[in-house]
Amino acid sequence: MDRRSFIKGSVAVVPATMALQMLGQRFAWAQSADFSSDEDVLNYALTLEYLESEFYRQGNEASLLSGKEAEYLNAVGADEDAHVAAITDTINKIGGTPVEAPGVNFGEAFANRESFLKTSHTFENLGVQAYLGAAGFIKEPAILQAAAGIFGVEARHAAVVGNLLGLPADNGVYMGATETPLAKDEVLAAAQPFLAGAGAMAGGAAVTR
Amino acid sequence: MSEAQLFDGQPVIEFDNPGDRRNFLKWAGIVGVGSTLAAAAVTNPFASAQAGGDVDILNYALTLEYLEADFYKQGVAGDLLSGRERELVVPIAEHEAAHVSTLASTIEDLGGKPVKKPKFKYPEATFNDKATFLKTASTFEELGVTAYHGQVTKIKNVDLLAAAASIAGVESRHAAILADLTGGNPFPAPVEATATMQEVLKAAKPFIAG
Repeated sequence: MDRRSFIKGSVAVVPATMALQMLGQRFAWAQSADFSSDEDVLNYALTLEYLESEFYRQGNEASLLSGKEAEYLNAVGADEDAHVAAITDTINKIGGTPVEAPGVNFGEAFANRESFLKTSHTFENLGVQAYLGAAGFIKEPAILQAAAGIFGVEARHAAVVGNLLGLPADNGVYMGATETPLAKDEVLAAAQPFLAGAGAMAGGAAVTR
Repeated sequence: MSEAQLFDGQPVIEFDNPGDRRNFLKWAGIVGVGSTLAAAAVTNPFASAQAGGDVDILNYALTLEYLEADFYKQGVAGDLLSGRERELVVPIAEHEAAHVSTLASTIEDLGGKPVKKPKFKYPEATFNDKATFLKTASTFEELGVTAYHGQVTKIKNVDLLAAAASIAGVESRHAAILADLTGGNPFPAPVEATATMQEVLKAAKPFIAG
């Protein structure tokens, strides 16, 4: 079974032991040379959080939602703002330099309620996979703890937004019995359409595809 | 029966074999649950035999997953849920069962011995109505999330960390959905909270006490 088919969610039919071995392998793949330091991982995360934070700022301002949906997406946006602040703070504390917010272009994402929620769902699941794919690079336990804590909240967001969209429980609200990590180059490729300007993504210039 | 005296002497979890009981008591020793039993575990040479920290953590996670799997199995067996609620909760039962088998085989892969499934007892009203079942489920999920996050910096093997994290993320999804279904807050904080083994075992007590 190749990596693609695994990512599509066939994990449920894989015997547990094998699944775990594969999980280890996928983790090992991510450990090639994607990040050289905790600061690298944090700046990667920061760029994604900037992207999400700006996405919700614009989306929530567009008044596409009402009632509980509006409440939820405002809370999600506030979480992303908090992630930006916390990660920036952490980078400063370890003597690093936080990247600037990237230029963004969300296209038709705010055309209506559904496009807003669908794009949100994509971002949240991408965030979950990005954190899981990068976790193995983090050396400082306190940073790992924080990254894991953020990862879990992104998973909450993804599930709830998936449910607001009325997606199927399997592979809509939940993405299998285990989360699937994604390597940096794949995350960047998925995020690229929303980024405006050359070198907008942290480490983007280093990615040759 | 003395085998089952764990939390303040209340019969809570019954183990099929003494080895599993010893394992559980070893955690009790680590976290200080039940002073008499804990003291016994510490001086028991079998209880402190090999099995590194990672296996202990996985067995701790396995016991919580056993509890969740058992809980949902009972909950979805009846007619409590229908429609979208049922659609959302049935997969949770499947996930918890998958977590049990994943954790058990991981422990074996590490040369450890997975703890056998304990017998759980729930407060009588747990499965009487939808609201009680879902509220209890919500509590379990939030507890599971904090339990996993409480072990993040204690796991030594990086592959195990990835495996545990990949499970923890799913527990976060469950927690958020159940909060939504029960009128709670799906996003209680921007970062997941953590709980120690001691806190988790203490919090689990009211829900698994017979």
